[in-house]
Amino acid sequence: MVDVSQHKLVPEHTVLDDPDRVDEVLSEYNVSKTNLPKITVSDPALPDKAEPGDVIEITRDSRTTDRATVYRLVVE
Amino acid sequence: MQTPKEIGGIQFGLMDPETYRDMSATKVITADTYDDDGYPIDMGLMDPRLGVIDPGLECRTCGQHSGSCNGHFGHIELAAPVIHVGFTKLIRRLLRSTCRECGRLALTEEERDEYRDNLVRAEELGNDPNDVLKSAVRQARKQSYCPHPDCGGVMHEIKHEKPTTYYEVQDVLAGDYSERIAEAMQPDPDDEDDEGTGPAELAEEVGVNVGRIQEIMSGEFRPKSETRKKLEKVLGVDLTEEDMNKLMPSDIRDWFEDIPDEDIEVIGVDPERSRPEWMILTVLPVPPVTARPSITLDNGQRSEDDLTHKLVDIIRINQRFMENREAGAPQLIIEDLWELLQYHVTTFIDNEISGTPPARHRSGRPLKTLSQRLKGKEGRFRGSLSGKRVNFSARTVISPDPTLSLNEVGVPDRVAKEMTQTLNVTERNVDEARQYVANGPEAHPGANYVRRPDGRRLKVTEKNCEELATKVEEGWEVNRHLVDGDIVVFNRQPSLHRMSIMAHEVVVMPYKTFRLNTTVCPPYNADFDGDEMNMHALQNEEARAEARVLMRVQEQMLSPRFGENIIGAIQDHISGTYLLTHENPHFSETQALDLLRATSVDELPAADGEENGGPYWTGRTVFSELLPDDLNLEFTSSAGDTVEIVDGQLVTGTIDEDAVGAFGGEIVDTLTKVYSETRARVFVNEVAALAMRAIMHFGFSLGIDDESIPQAADEMVDEAIGNAYERIEELIDTYETGELESLPGRTVDETLEMKIMQTLGKARDSAGEIAEDHFQEDNPAVIMARSGARGSMLNLTQMAGCVGQQAVRGERINRGYEDRTLSHYEPNDLSAEAHGFVENSYRGGLTPREFFFHAMGGREGLVDTAVRTSKSGYLQRRLINALSELEAQYDGTVRDTSDTIVQFEYGEDGTSPVKVSSNDDNPIDVEGIADRVLDAEFGSEEEKERFLGSREPPTNLSEYAGPGLNKAQGMEVESDD
Repeated sequence: MVDVSQHKLVPEHTVLDDPDRVDEVLSEYNVSKTNLPKITVSDPALPDKAEPGDVIEITRDSRTTDRATVYRLVVE
Repeated sequence: MQTPKEIGGIQFGLMDPETYRDMSATKVITADTYDDDGYPIDMGLMDPRLGVIDPGLECRTCGQHSGSCNGHFGHIELAAPVIHVGFTKLIRRLLRSTCRECGRLALTEEERDEYRDNLVRAEELGNDPNDVLKSAVRQARKQSYCPHPDCGGVMHEIKHEKPTTYYEVQDVLAGDYSERIAEAMQPDPDDEDDEGTGPAELAEEVGVNVGRIQEIMSGEFRPKSETRKKLEKVLGVDLTEEDMNKLMPSDIRDWFEDIPDEDIEVIGVDPERSRPEWMILTVLPVPPVTARPSITLDNGQRSEDDLTHKLVDIIRINQRFMENREAGAPQLIIEDLWELLQYHVTTFIDNEISGTPPARHRSGRPLKTLSQRLKGKEGRFRGSLSGKRVNFSARTVISPDPTLSLNEVGVPDRVAKEMTQTLNVTERNVDEARQYVANGPEAHPGANYVRRPDGRRLKVTEKNCEELATKVEEGWEVNRHLVDGDIVVFNRQPSLHRMSIMAHEVVVMPYKTFRLNTTVCPPYNADFDGDEMNMHALQNEEARAEARVLMRVQEQMLSPRFGENIIGAIQDHISGTYLLTHENPHFSETQALDLLRATSVDELPAADGEENGGPYWTGRTVFSELLPDDLNLEFTSSAGDTVEIVDGQLVTGTIDEDAVGAFGGEIVDTLTKVYSETRARVFVNEVAALAMRAIMHFGFSLGIDDESIPQAADEMVDEAIGNAYERIEELIDTYETGELESLPGRTVDETLEMKIMQTLGKARDSAGEIAEDHFQEDNPAVIMARSGARGSMLNLTQMAGCVGQQAVRGERINRGYEDRTLSHYEPNDLSAEAHGFVENSYRGGLTPREFFFHAMGGREGLVDTAVRTSKSGYLQRRLINALSELEAQYDGTVRDTSDTIVQFEYGEDGTSPVKVSSNDDNPIDVEGIADRVLDAEFGSEEEKERFLGSREPPTNLSEYAGPGLNKAQGMEVESDD
């Protein structure tokens, strides 16, 4: 089986384990978790340990800014 | 009741019939409108208590006159409840998910709580709550018995017959039950061991006595449901058939009254505001007469509104229903009348229900009822609220005026006299204001109205203007005509991007058209073949300031679509600058000054040299006068040479589309980004002016002779095409002998087609090349194609050489008759001319058959554009509606109205395309920006050097070191990787 999360076009998805980091992100943008963009648990790009309610940090290459970081909330 | 002036919020819910009655100004009982004297009948549909439409009359409810009275609702007491068509889906959902016996939701408490939580969750996450509601209904519908232990009632299947009929599907004992039992008791003929079932045996197994079984088998006794089920089990037969029991609206209303408040929440109904039984109408609100005014025709006859007609129908049927019921009419008639009442109420609400014939006017036109007033493009929402007609706007044909600045618009005087601006009279402008009023409404800078400090508005007329002018004091307002320099908003539809609406400064002019500088045609996508444009005069100081700062044409110089200028030289401007700079011609003093006379340059620089006993200036020198003195630029022109600008002097190169054109002309782009929008505006204006003088100096025209090529060239073209024909014949021969080898992935037929197309393509290209070789450099068509002003070399070769293959759907023309395109050809003729190859040129003229094929190809293009515009228009509408609520916030994120983040940084980089300097190699031109910063920061080369740090030349170099000499490193590089 091909693990799509290892594909070069799939950006890096990491679970924000540390609750402090999550709070940091949420307070940076002044939002609640539910206002983040969503990603379903079944998404093959997610790491296996991701569970609904987790916040995922996605770091992707950007043509204009080199790296772009976005956050998503895992939902069912 | 006081009408609110400002709306704080809107709540949606159902309305209690009691509220209808409380709100009602009167009960409506008669279907008549006016009596013989033309007075409205009391308790009729035009009752004066419902509001007034005739001027002069007084409203019997609020006492106000028409205009200030908004009207009042009345009501009709319906003889029997009817279903509201707007809620048929919700009614079906409720019928299917609740128990008929106890009214409760057919879900266990745990399930119910779970769905309620899911609903809250869906709302939080911004998911569609409908999905949760649907799954709750699906779950409840599965039950065949009420899951509540104290009830356990049977839940029948509900059948919905659109639009407003509901049936309960029940299983009842079939009419032929005794035959079915007898048949099942017979022995199975295929199974020899089966002896069948005797009555005694059956009685024992079912548990009733034999006599009863005999009675059942003879059809004298109908078994009760318990016995029936046992019988079915023992015999393995189905003794039931489906029976449809119609649910009358009154039954449904009773059912819904039993549904407890806690349960309807799960179905998505807020019990605070709505009760499900209110979806069944018992009272019908009658809209105020102001919502359905009657019109008096020229012949004095009154014509009623569609809604009134519908209400008349409802009242008539309602009365007939009541009379019949009181008279004790048979059930069948009552039911028919009930259905009729339902139909009228349904069409009163929505007259476009599928499955119901629309209610029609006497003329056969379908009535426009409540839903039709709201729905669609001309409906209340899209037609009257999102977009409406406005005052202070004007529309007329546009025409060009190269003497205007691109920031200006020429406004006809008769438009300027109609559109006004409000002038607040103060100490400083009182004289000016009086002058406007004194001029009256007919003379041009005049005034149309004045407003006194007490709020009274007076019309300025020819008669009273002199007198009124003397009365104007501080604190008055004067609505004066538009004058030069006022700011207005200008628009051309379709408004596809933000540059379709820009602010211009007014220049009042005679005649009837709006006048534009031709350089603003690209952003509006305007031309002058009859295009019309709209103008809006701004009515308050904020709007005018905003328009001037943000919307003026010069502020829109750069397009957010590609980050380069969209305003610049077009067409003849480009031909003009090309003529001026390509061969760098010489001009005498008079000529040079004439070229620059429409610009702000009024002094010539030092002459470039002497010739014929006088000084001369070159075209490039003249052009350089328009450039800022410190501009340095190097790029490749569209004509192919390198353009070099050093310290504001054009040293070499041709100025053409790539330099000054709209859609990314380098010089305009650089001026806008590095200097300012104002500098770029000045430059574009002056380039346009200079180019017009230049093209007029040289003279520029195009005629049929400009596309002729020498006889010899014509023969060469014929030969090239002849060769192609021969090759095609060879191809066809190999194909017919079956020797043609197919290309990978293609059939032999396809291969042949491809090869023929290729050969013909090449033939046209070589014909084009031959033609191109014989055109002079100064051929006007060549100049236009090279400079990018208009047309291409392909257009030219089609005019002079050969038009080439005509195509429909990307293939040679393959349609028409059976096995051939036209009856002029043999069937299955594969030759070039039989499939739409046009070997003639446009100048030489097409043969009738060629002309026909050419029309086939041309028509496809026309159809494609027509289809594309409508398709893309709808696509754009959907896209805009989907994105309209997204907004870039001050923290740099993009969010929708529920504050959900869509982008964490606008466009991932938080930059606007028009604010970023970029070039072809890099999305952001970092080096260029750094160079400019350093140049601006440091006055001298030494200072700059000091800041950047001196680069010491390397010392103590071994002879193996130094650029290109490091052999050790060189080897490493080779061995590496």
